[in-house]
Amino acid sequence: MSALRWTCNLSRMWTEWTPWDRPQLPRGRKWIDKGPRGAGLMSCVTVTNMAEHNMTQSGEKFYNEILSPSELFAAQSRSHKLPVRGQKDFYPNDSEEQRQRLEQSLEEHWSLISEERVERLGNLVKATWIPSEKIVELQTPAGKFWQTMGFSARGKQYLHPEEALHLMECGSVQVFYQDLPLSIQDGYERFLSSSTVSLLQYQVFAHLKRLGYVVHRFDPSSEPSSYARQLNLPQSCNKERRQLKRKRSASPTPSTKSTSQAETQKESTADIMEEEKCSHEEDESKKLPDSDLKTCSETSDTQTGPADSGGGRTWWMADISGDQSEHQPASGSPRWHFSSISFPDLGSSERHPSCLFPPDPSLLPGSLAVGVCDITPWRSRINLRQVKMSAKEQKREMDRGRRRWDINRDKEVRRCRNWAEYHKLQARREGRRKGQPEHLWNREVTPLHDPSQPIPTAELLETISVSKSSNLLEGASRVKASDQWRIRFNVYQPDTVADFKKTNPGRPYCRMCVCSFSDPVPDLRAIKQMAVQSGDIQVICAVVDYGDISFYAFKDFQLPTDVYP
Amino acid sequence: MQAEFRAPRRRTRVYEEYEAPLPVSRDAEEKSHFRAEFINQHVLVHHPDHIHKIHNQGYFGKGILSRARPDHSISDQWEQHEGLMLPVVTQSRYEELLSWAGSVLYAQGLDEDAVNQTLLGLSQPVDVEDVRREMEGGENGQRREKEVKEEEPGTEGGVCPQTKRPLDESKVEPETKRCNRSESQDLNPVCDLSPSSDQESDSNHDPTSDSDSDSDCDPDPLVPGPGFVLVSDGEEVREVRRCPLTLTEYLQLSLEEAFFLVYSLGCLSVYLNQEPLSILQLWQTFRSLRPDFISSYAAYQHFRSKGWVPKTGGGAKYGVDLMLYRKGPPFYHASYSVVIERVDDEFRGSGLRPFSWCSLAALNRITSNVSKELMFCYIIYPANLSEVELDSPACLSKLKVQEVIVSRWVSSRERAEQDNI
Repeated sequence: MSALRWTCNLSRMWTEWTPWDRPQLPRGRKWIDKGPRGAGLMSCVTVTNMAEHNMTQSGEKFYNEILSPSELFAAQSRSHKLPVRGQKDFYPNDSEEQRQRLEQSLEEHWSLISEERVERLGNLVKATWIPSEKIVELQTPAGKFWQTMGFSARGKQYLHPEEALHLMECGSVQVFYQDLPLSIQDGYERFLSSSTVSLLQYQVFAHLKRLGYVVHRFDPSSEPSSYARQLNLPQSCNKERRQLKRKRSASPTPSTKSTSQAETQKESTADIMEEEKCSHEEDESKKLPDSDLKTCSETSDTQTGPADSGGGRTWWMADISGDQSEHQPASGSPRWHFSSISFPDLGSSERHPSCLFPPDPSLLPGSLAVGVCDITPWRSRINLRQVKMSAKEQKREMDRGRRRWDINRDKEVRRCRNWAEYHKLQARREGRRKGQPEHLWNREVTPLHDPSQPIPTAELLETISVSKSSNLLEGASRVKASDQWRIRFNVYQPDTVADFKKTNPGRPYCRMCVCSFSDPVPDLRAIKQMAVQSGDIQVICAVVDYGDISFYAFKDFQLPTDVYP
Repeated sequence: MQAEFRAPRRRTRVYEEYEAPLPVSRDAEEKSHFRAEFINQHVLVHHPDHIHKIHNQGYFGKGILSRARPDHSISDQWEQHEGLMLPVVTQSRYEELLSWAGSVLYAQGLDEDAVNQTLLGLSQPVDVEDVRREMEGGENGQRREKEVKEEEPGTEGGVCPQTKRPLDESKVEPETKRCNRSESQDLNPVCDLSPSSDQESDSNHDPTSDSDSDSDCDPDPLVPGPGFVLVSDGEEVREVRRCPLTLTEYLQLSLEEAFFLVYSLGCLSVYLNQEPLSILQLWQTFRSLRPDFISSYAAYQHFRSKGWVPKTGGGAKYGVDLMLYRKGPPFYHASYSVVIERVDDEFRGSGLRPFSWCSLAALNRITSNVSKELMFCYIIYPANLSEVELDSPACLSKLKVQEVIVSRWVSSRERAEQDNI
C-alpha cells in the first residue's frame, strides 16, 4: 500500500518565540502566499505503516516523527483559527471571573505555542548544511520559494543561512547536517553568527519576509561607485554596456577642476581669469581686453615699484593667486616662454599708443577672436595721483573753499572737543542723511542689507542666505564606512513578487540597516555613511527591541524657497 | 534619497491679511528703522508702530501679554455705545482694576487719602460728549493728562527707574491720538502697569470705564482711544468710565529674531542704556547669553533666507527648537518641527541634545500626532574655525546647513501599498 509519509515538525519554545511571531494567518482572508507555504497548520491524511507504528506504541513513547492515523486526523481537524482576544481588562480586580478568563487565555496561547506542526513529508524540500561555506545546499528540487530566494552556483541550488532558517520555520525545508535533521533550535544556533547574519538582522529579515517582502542580502560591490554615478552610467547587471559619451568640454579636466576651485576664491582677478577660460566658446572680443586691463591696472596699483620697468612681464602674475600652475594649459602644449611674451603694461607712465593691437592668437585659449581695443577711457581711470601743488596754489584752493562756508559756524561742531568727537558727529550725520545709523554701518561688521535701498524679496532672500546648504552625499566620501551602519538588506515590494526575477531584480524599494534599540541614534556621520552606500535608494533603519521592530528613515531634504511677493 | 516635500496645510479660517514678508520697505518712500531695548537679557520693542510693523511683516516676536501677536486688550468684548466702540468690562473686573491702580499708587508712596481721592476721581462716570471732545482735542487731552500727571509729582519717577522722556510726549501728533496713551506709557518701559490718569476715585461708585490702552482702531464707529471702557453690571446698564490703569504691551523678540533684524535686514537698532549696540557687540552679548547661539542663529537665518517663518519657543509645546511656518502662523499650520544639531567637520555630533531611540521615537510620535514633519537641521562647522572667527558674524558664511527629515516607516502591507515607489 502506498503510504504517504508524514512527519511532524517540532516547534520548541524560545523566549523570543511569541505567538505573534508565528507565520501570521490573517483572519478571514485566504493566505495567498507567493513564497513558501507559511502556515504551519498543514495537514493531510495519510496512512502509515501500521506495523511500524504498533511497534513503537508499546512501552515508552519514543518520539516518533511519523504520525499515526489518529494523530493525523487530530492534527487535521484542529482549529485553524487563531484565538480571539477579548476585551481588555485594565486593572486586576481579584475576581474569580477575571482569573478564569486570564487562565483560559493563557491556556489558549500555551496550546498554540506548543502545537506541533504537521507537514507533508513529500512536500518538504531536503537540504544539507555546509558549515565551511555557511550555505545550505538543496538536495531535492526547490519549491515555490525559489522564485525569490536562493541562488544557483556550480550547477546546484543553494540557500543563504537566514533564508534556510526562515524556510525551516515556515515548514517548507528540512535541513540535514550529517544525516540528521536539524531542529529549529539547531538552526538558530548554527546558522546565525557574526559571519553570516546576526540574530537582530535575522529578526528583521523574518519580519519582512512574513509580511511578504522580498529581502535579499545587500552586496556593496553591486552598487555603482560614486564616480560611476557621476558619469551617469546606466545601472544594469550587464557590464558590457558602453559608456555614455561625456559632454565635450573644451577645457581639459584638470583645469575644470581648477575652474571650480578658483571660483571659490575671493580674488577678483582669479574670477576674471576664469571667466576668460569658461567663456571661450563665445566671441569675447570685448571682454578679454577689459579683463586684461583690469588685471594690469591692479597689478600696477599693487606694484608701483616695478611699474616703470616696462615690458617683459609674464602673462600670469605669481602674486595674484596661489595655484597658478593649474591655470597653465596642461593638455600637452609646450611650455610657454613667458619671458618672451610681452604683456602690455598700461599702468606705467610711458607713452602708449591709444589702442591695443590684438594679441597673438597662439596665446589665447580655444578659438577666441580678439579685436583691437581702445584704451584711452581706461587709462583715464588709473594712476590717479594727487596733484602736487605749490604752497601758493594750496592757499588759493583753501581760500576758494573758505569763502563758501565756515564750518565753525555749526553749533554742533563747536561742541566737539576733539577730533574724535568731530568724526563721530560726521559719521552720525552721514548715517542720518543716508538713513544708515552710524552704529550699524560704521563698524567692522555691517548689516547684510541696507533698508534704504529696497530690493525685491527674492533678491533679499538671496542676500540673506549666507550659509550654504549641504546635501547628504557632500563630503560623504570622506567618511569611512563603519561596521555598525552597514546596509544589510535590499527590500523589494511584495506586489512585485509575481514577476520577480532573481537575475534582474530591479531597483529595491529600500535598503535596511539594523540596529538595536539600545544603540545610539545615527548622527549625521552615520546617515552619510548609509547614504553613500545606498545611492539614491532610501535607507531605513530597523530598530529591534527584543522582537519588536520599528523602522525609521532619515532622508535628505532641501527646503524649497518660498517667495511670497 | 530625497524626502518628498509635502505642501503646507492651510488653516481653515484666516483672520489676517498678509502684509509683507519682511519688515523692510520694498519701495523707496518709506524708511523704516525700528528701535528695541535690551533689558534684563531680553529684547523688547516698545513703540506701537514698530511693534505693529515688526510683527505683521514677518511675524517676529511675541507680545508679552498675549499668546502670539500683541493683541492684549482690557477686554475681549467690544461693543458699540452711542457711536463709540468701547471694550466692555464687568463691574467686578473694573473694581479689580481699580484696586490694582490703588496698589500701584500705594507703591509710589502715596498715603491712603490721596489714593482714595485718585480712585474716586477715576471712577466718575464720563459723559460720551466728553469722550468725543477728548478725542478731537487729542493734543489737549494729552496735555490735560500731562497736567494731571504733574499733580502727583514724583509718582512716575518713583515707579520707573528710567527718567521721563518728555521728548516722546511732545512728539505725539494729534492724528495718533488713539495711540496717545501708549506713547505716554513709553515713559515706563519697565513697569507694565501704569496709572493712566491720576484722578481719584471712590470704589463705592460704579467704576469708571476707561477705554483701552491698546489701540485697535476701527475706522468706524469711532474708537475713543485709550482710557475709556464700558462697564456693565451684568445686565443692560452700560456706563462709560475712565480706565484706572492701562496695560501696555510690548513685543518681545527672541535673541535670534533680534539679531536677524539687526544684521540681515539692518532695520532694527538695539539700545542698551540708551546706547545703541553695534552688530559685533550684539553678537558677543548674545553669544555670552547662550552658548549655542551661533548654531541656532545660523539655522534661523537659513530658514528665513528660504522665505519660511521660523518661530522659536516650540520647545515647551512640541519639544523642538523651531517651528517652521509658510507665510506665517495665521495662515498655515506649521509644517516642520526642527531640531538643531551641531556637528563638526567630520560630521560627528557634539550632542547638543543627545537622542536615544526611545526619545527619538517619542518625539516622532508627538510630531506626527500634530501632523508635522520632524526635521533635523545640522550645522556643519569646518575644522579650521578659530575662536576669533567665531566671535564675529562673518563666520556664518563658513557654516553649512544640512536638513534631514526623520520619518517612521510602517512595514505592514496596507501601508506599503499606499506608498508609491
